[in-house]
Amino acid sequence: MNVRTLLLVLTLAICHGTRTEAGVLDSLRGWVGLGGKNRTEEAKKTMPRIRVGAFTGGTGSSAQQTLRKELLDSREFFVASAEEKVDYTVEGTSVGGRVTGRLRDTKGKELFQRSYAAPGLDENLKALTDDVIYTITGRPGLATSRIVFVSDVTGKRQIYVCDSEGGEVHQVTHDKNGAVAPSLSPDSSMIAFTSYRSGFPIIRLLDLNVGWERGVTDTPGSSFGSAFSPDGTHLAAVMSFIGNPEIFVSDLNTNTAACVSDSVGAPSSPSWHPNGRELVFSSDDGDGPKLYIVEVPQKEGGSSRLFRWRTGYHFCTDPEWSPDGHHIAFTTRTNGEWTVAVKPYPNGGVRVVQTGGAEHPSWSPNGHFITYVQHGELFVHDLRSGNRRAIVRGYGRITEPRWMR
Amino acid sequence: MMNAAIRSCLPALSLLLASCSSMSMPSFLRSPASEAVVFALGPREGYTSPLNGSLKPACPALVFDRADFKLTETHQQTLHSLAQEMSKNKKARLLVAGYAPPNLPQDHARSISERRALAVRQRLIELGLEAANIQTVGFGNDFSPTGPSSDVVVVYRQN
Repeated sequence: MNVRTLLLVLTLAICHGTRTEAGVLDSLRGWVGLGGKNRTEEAKKTMPRIRVGAFTGGTGSSAQQTLRKELLDSREFFVASAEEKVDYTVEGTSVGGRVTGRLRDTKGKELFQRSYAAPGLDENLKALTDDVIYTITGRPGLATSRIVFVSDVTGKRQIYVCDSEGGEVHQVTHDKNGAVAPSLSPDSSMIAFTSYRSGFPIIRLLDLNVGWERGVTDTPGSSFGSAFSPDGTHLAAVMSFIGNPEIFVSDLNTNTAACVSDSVGAPSSPSWHPNGRELVFSSDDGDGPKLYIVEVPQKEGGSSRLFRWRTGYHFCTDPEWSPDGHHIAFTTRTNGEWTVAVKPYPNGGVRVVQTGGAEHPSWSPNGHFITYVQHGELFVHDLRSGNRRAIVRGYGRITEPRWMR
Repeated sequence: MMNAAIRSCLPALSLLLASCSSMSMPSFLRSPASEAVVFALGPREGYTSPLNGSLKPACPALVFDRADFKLTETHQQTLHSLAQEMSKNKKARLLVAGYAPPNLPQDHARSISERRALAVRQRLIELGLEAANIQTVGFGNDFSPTGPSSDVVVVYRQN
């Protein structure tokens, strides 16, 4: 190959690279399959072995059976029988639905003892399950986590909350003209959302525990796409009052906001890195939405880096950082249909999670699952096994799900 | 020998430059000097939303054929006629509302519809209308199918 031919090949490669055709990169993705690597690593790990010991008291027998099922369903442990050797034992008492649980390690050392006095036995056991999972694995459990979503079942779009299995569905907004774009605070106590009660899109906060609401933005133009920071003290959102839609970060304690993007296009869907110092968002400069990363200045007047994060796809929206910060899930388009994909951050091959109209992905708190909507149905997808199931039915067309972070 | 090497590189170099010229440059890398002055939105008090009342369009709806937010020649003509009509009443106020089709991701739809509304507002200001008398809103596809459900911007008169 002479010099001229080599340069021509290089030039054509650059042309392909700048255009980032999905077709070219699809062939490369097969060489670096994300799923295969993870499955191999998973297989090498040994699950902690746990036994559900005796629960004394009137509802003790039910508590023991339900807790065993919750721990099995979590897929975090090997749940052993009475005769098998284990790493941990959980036992306790249950009277009238209230539960006291104790977790011990193999040497008999007590890791925690806690009482749960919520109105229902199931609710108390879910809380105990999550505490057991967090104590042993360091990852949050899903039993008490919540998914927030938008449904049009009443004729207007309103916001609903359900548990991670699609149970206990509650409508939480009843706004005139509707409410959309919800985001749950890290402790699930508050929802930020875009309300149309005034006829214009403004961002409001709803405290789920005490029921009060307050406005965060009532600026001219539009406000939407809110996302809580990992510590719950700041809210990233799109606002357009300056004459351009831009990403702003609002301090919820002082009600002040700072612009962190510099766009002449159409930015949307900011999502925080778990370190609270970076945001990923989608922005359309006229040739389709693409993903960008921006550093959030840590002090007033501080500078920040803003750069395009290439995925290999032309149309990318709704990005969300995984709880460990190692991946970003997003909506893209393959063969003319919406597709949910995951890409390691900062580099790595894209893994297509679900094609055929799947959109708006959101990670479970432990990073093992993704929820998304497909043709108006809400799905939970296990990234380890590839299994998925629709968790909510009969709620009209569901959009914009977000899992508690 | 050097000349021969340069000559051999020229076709590849011209291809490279041609590819670079067709690349879209991210907005934050563009020179701000080449952009028009952007006018911030004034207070929204006293404006009525089309969700809360029946508003009359001030001109035919502006249809965006492509997925972007650039104004076409047809848009320019419509806005020019509207600006001439509005110049007779300096106190008249307008609400520019963007809509998007239901098949777009919701947050992107809100942003692109707001961006189109802002582009229309910017052009009306350049044609002589008061910035303080024009508000924008991007409804995206939040009200489809009962509201407008395509890539349109509607300019509503305010009472």
